[in-house]
Amino acid sequence: MAGICVVASALDGALSRSSLELVAAARALEGSGEGGIAAALLGSGPHLAEAADTLQRHGVAAIYRCDHPLLTSGQTDAALIATEQIVRRVQPGIVLVSADTVGRELGPRLAARMGAALVTEAVDVAVEGGALLVRRQVYGGRAMATLAVAKRPAVLTVKPRALDVPEPRPSTGTVEEVPVAIDGAALGTRVREVRREQAEVGLEDAQIVVGGGRGLGGPEGFKVLQQLAEVLGGAVGSSRPPADAGWVPISWQIGQTGKTIRPALYIAVGISGATQHVAGVSGARTIVAINRDPDAPIFSVAHLGIVGDYREVVPALIAKVKELQGR
Amino acid sequence: MDIVVCLKQVVDPELPVRDFAIDPATKRQVREGRPLVISTYDENALEVALQLKDRGGAQVTALTVGPAAALGDAVRLALAMGADQAVVVDHPQAPDLLGVEKARLLAAAIRRIGAYDLILCGCESADWVERVVPPLLAEMLGASCVTFAARVQPADGGLLVRRVADDGFHEVDVRMPAVVSIASDEANRPRLPKVKDIVAAKRKPVQSWPAGDLALPSGGADGSGVEVREVVVPQRTATCEFLDGDPVEQAASLARRLRDLKLV
Amino acid sequence: MVPTREIYWNIPALGVVLMYLVALVAVGIMGYGIWRRGRLWRRGRPVSRLRPVGPRLRAVLRHVFAHGRLLADRVAGASHLAFFWGFLFLFAGTTVVFIHQDLKIRIMQGAFYLYFQSAALDVMGLAAAAGVACALAMRYLVRSPRLRRGVLSDAVILWLFELILVTGFVVEGLRIAGTRDPWGAWSPVGYAVAGMVRAAALSEGAIRLAHAGFWWGHFLLSMAFVAYIPYSKLFHLVLAPVNTYLQPLQNPAGVGLIDFERTERFGASAFSDLTWKDLFDLDVCTECGRCTAVCPAALTGKVLSPMHVVLDLRDEMHRTDGASSRALGGQVVAPEALWACVTCMACMEACPVFIEHVPKIVEMRRHLVMEEASLPETMGEALRSLEARGHPFRGAGLARTAWIAGVEVKDLSKGDRAEWLLWVGCAAALNERNHAPLRALVRVLQAAGLDVGILGDEEGCSGDPARRIGNEYLFCDLARRTIETLDRRGVAKIVTLCPHCYNTFRHEYPDLGGHYEVWHHTQLLAHLIDEGRLRPTVPVAAAVTFHDPCYLGRHNGEYEAPRRVLRAIPGARAVEMAQCREKGFCCGAGGGLYWVEDRVGQRINHVRARHAAATGAEVVATACPFCLLMLEDGAAALESSTRPMDVVEVLERSVGKAPH
Repeated sequence: MAGICVVASALDGALSRSSLELVAAARALEGSGEGGIAAALLGSGPHLAEAADTLQRHGVAAIYRCDHPLLTSGQTDAALIATEQIVRRVQPGIVLVSADTVGRELGPRLAARMGAALVTEAVDVAVEGGALLVRRQVYGGRAMATLAVAKRPAVLTVKPRALDVPEPRPSTGTVEEVPVAIDGAALGTRVREVRREQAEVGLEDAQIVVGGGRGLGGPEGFKVLQQLAEVLGGAVGSSRPPADAGWVPISWQIGQTGKTIRPALYIAVGISGATQHVAGVSGARTIVAINRDPDAPIFSVAHLGIVGDYREVVPALIAKVKELQGR
Repeated sequence: MDIVVCLKQVVDPELPVRDFAIDPATKRQVREGRPLVISTYDENALEVALQLKDRGGAQVTALTVGPAAALGDAVRLALAMGADQAVVVDHPQAPDLLGVEKARLLAAAIRRIGAYDLILCGCESADWVERVVPPLLAEMLGASCVTFAARVQPADGGLLVRRVADDGFHEVDVRMPAVVSIASDEANRPRLPKVKDIVAAKRKPVQSWPAGDLALPSGGADGSGVEVREVVVPQRTATCEFLDGDPVEQAASLARRLRDLKLV
Repeated sequence: MVPTREIYWNIPALGVVLMYLVALVAVGIMGYGIWRRGRLWRRGRPVSRLRPVGPRLRAVLRHVFAHGRLLADRVAGASHLAFFWGFLFLFAGTTVVFIHQDLKIRIMQGAFYLYFQSAALDVMGLAAAAGVACALAMRYLVRSPRLRRGVLSDAVILWLFELILVTGFVVEGLRIAGTRDPWGAWSPVGYAVAGMVRAAALSEGAIRLAHAGFWWGHFLLSMAFVAYIPYSKLFHLVLAPVNTYLQPLQNPAGVGLIDFERTERFGASAFSDLTWKDLFDLDVCTECGRCTAVCPAALTGKVLSPMHVVLDLRDEMHRTDGASSRALGGQVVAPEALWACVTCMACMEACPVFIEHVPKIVEMRRHLVMEEASLPETMGEALRSLEARGHPFRGAGLARTAWIAGVEVKDLSKGDRAEWLLWVGCAAALNERNHAPLRALVRVLQAAGLDVGILGDEEGCSGDPARRIGNEYLFCDLARRTIETLDRRGVAKIVTLCPHCYNTFRHEYPDLGGHYEVWHHTQLLAHLIDEGRLRPTVPVAAAVTFHDPCYLGRHNGEYEAPRRVLRAIPGARAVEMAQCREKGFCCGAGGGLYWVEDRVGQRINHVRARHAAATGAEVVATACPFCLLMLEDGAAALESSTRPMDVVEVLERSVGKAPH
């Protein structure tokens, strides 16, 4: 029982980005006696060959490919059957699964079937002093836990976007076709329909919230905040004055008499920081304040502060974030 | 339909960051003096169960693992909201257990409860956010599994579940028995219990089963091979750090800081 | 010849018999009406309001006979006073006739006849007629905005009054003319009418005919009036004095405890859920609109009108004979109205007939909250926070002692003992703006040599928000826990910063077995100044206006203590707002409304901040942590230069740093 097996998926056609992130994790572990990297590649159709190429170009030596019409978006039960079959064949020490929609169901279930150790939502994996260490956020991101995994096999799920896509590292190896029998009628779950609409992130569930206040000067100020929220994948909220003034819907109001949020990041723009507003954001883990007035009380609760005009700062921030995201 | 809703009691996640601390001995959050509440999405799960009960009739059992003495009002709240009965698996170290162990206890308790068509959980706990209990339960109980469900409705003897997915929504046909984890949705905002129901809840049955009495299922994921080495709270300066420069420089250094914090 | 007059002149004996028959019928109709209403009142839950007799009778003297509250509106009060006393005199005159004629006790003669039965009655009758005319003018010419429009019975009643008075004078004039009454001039109005009759040179037959006609007209109108009483707002003639007697002497806005072990229904959804006194209240209403005219919610454009709450309930009770199938809280009275009430008691303070609006509103809220779980979302969040965290402020931290920076104070939760407990209160402990008043209070009390301690992290919530919002179950839970803590720590004397906690401790804890000596901080400060233990010497040169917190003022009758403290500060000039003391205007936070965004119409706290700013004062002092937060918010929105401060903050500047 040795080696690292990444569960790579091309359920939507092309190889998913998170599959390559798993390869990055595998490469971080391979030099420490865990063995070589294999991949279980799941999907259907002609794209699979291309996906296998991509994996090989990034350093995956052995690829076990499973091509089945049921291996499409969201079909966890089918993916689990295929993955289990490959993993039982490969007998790896470590299985890496992306904690995406399918993976967060598949990973734990695979671990249960293999009697494996299980750690989910890893943001970093490493081997230190011979021990496999997995780091993950806990308590809603307020703390970082390090877990040591002694047992093999171990299933680790990796949080999407936590790791960068690795540099290419061409390798030669084998691509083996693994035939798998999946009886569609026997599956416990079947995806009837995929509705590709972006679920609107609710203010209370958003991990990133951009809030605007009186300092925006008018409803048009919120347009630029919406752009910022869009690039960050977050939601927009407001303090009381904009809601009062009708610049934004009342449902956007955050505070004692509005919504309570506890995102990973709260960016307060043009918000003075009245107690009634701050009460609604005290659960935020990182608070960034952008305000023209250096004496605004918001700076006493913020971790990072920018004194300046949001009309200049926010567009620059949007551009910079896009640049970092490689867009 | 027989529904079991798994509830977890956690330290109030709305507490301000400054009241958050890790106990170095247990490597878990300090609970002492902190208010305890039902974990956020677990309440949504309970709401989904109660809506199924309201619509088509169901027997709803609230199940929790915890130190029975310290559970306080969590179970009573569930009964007040409308659960028919409650089961507490009494385990003194429950707050320190990770999901793999928890799932084993829950699976054993659900088997002892016996009748179940649907097991509902929150999509993640507000503390360790492991998201492992629902799929592990499904495996141990031989049930279907869907996680992050926004809506659940009965359909053709099974369920039609709307799953919140990376690429939109999945409408999933689910065979029962099933374990479904619930994400928040406009339609499943937890109801406020009525006081008359709070009073009536006192008369509803609560069974307390010592964890040691349960017949734990064999197999499943192995929790013994994982050890929590350390849990650290990132050090933060108490005062605000101001980013200097012209607006473009300020924005650039902010963007870099956000990337370092893995927020971008 | 002894001065008197012939009774039943021109009325044949048969007519007198007929008169008594008609009177009997009228009284019968009235009695039936009272019985019908009484049946409805008896559906209410029991409540005891008969004792103590002395203070209640004094209240009747003051507010019924002297029109104490009615005269708050000078013109309306004076005209009511005129016809109240006018009719009372005329009724007394009728009684004199009855005694003289039917009981054969001859009192209607001599000087008594001349001075009382003739002159006084005539003058008082004229006063009544003038009063009624004035009321008609207010209603139909001046069109007083607080009065309802387009209600037929309002017109009927006033014109009936006026007609009875006028026909009375005509009858009297005809009699004086017809009998050539030698003492006619003692009745100046009747005499003037007689003069006109003489000038018209009617024959004796014509005079007799006219007299008989007017006499019967006058009589029948009077009997119609009597019969109409229980079927109209005239009922208040009978009920208002009774209601004045039955008024709550303590904790006027209080609601009763609920026995959760035995009760199946919580709050008021049916009439039988209210007390008999609540139902009685409904029939007392005179529809004068004074309550709505002072209601801060109504004045700022909310749905609530306290008068319409009463009238809607009354009309529903009459329409359904007390067996309404609609929920009182939520259907008969709109939820928006119930949730707009700040429980400030302005309505109850203004009501001349002592109707208790606030407890009814709270009872209906209880139904909505406890039976329906239906309440404004953010208010519900405050309650959930109370349940989970023991305070209603979501997002607030754990530490209740964050304010103790720079002061030393004993902490009873750590085993210290102190003579006085300073009850900090959530609103002060968990909102930074109130930390300065807390520190100032500790310093000032210590300067006066008081031994003060706090409960530290053992302090919880007094329960006030839960009770006002209508979650009695939560209130009882919080209150019992607090009483347990207070007793465990051996607390006997409490001083509170917050008037809400003060009110709850003082009036509501005894019912739950918590008995303490409770002082509001301004009361204790005034007392210490009076005793010379605090000497404000450092001048504070500022004009200071005082905002009366509702739960200190109207709820507890304490208007003087904070003003005594301010007056003792050299240099401070007191200026009052028009809306002060009994007429004080709420800050907008009471009744759980602190946790609801005030979005309909104007914001109450902005209006109040404007009142304060209009005085031109540098400081608007108050004595409540909620008021302070609301006034701060209002002052910020208005960019007002009138700074909100707690009384103790102003006092601290004057006491200086010198130790005692």
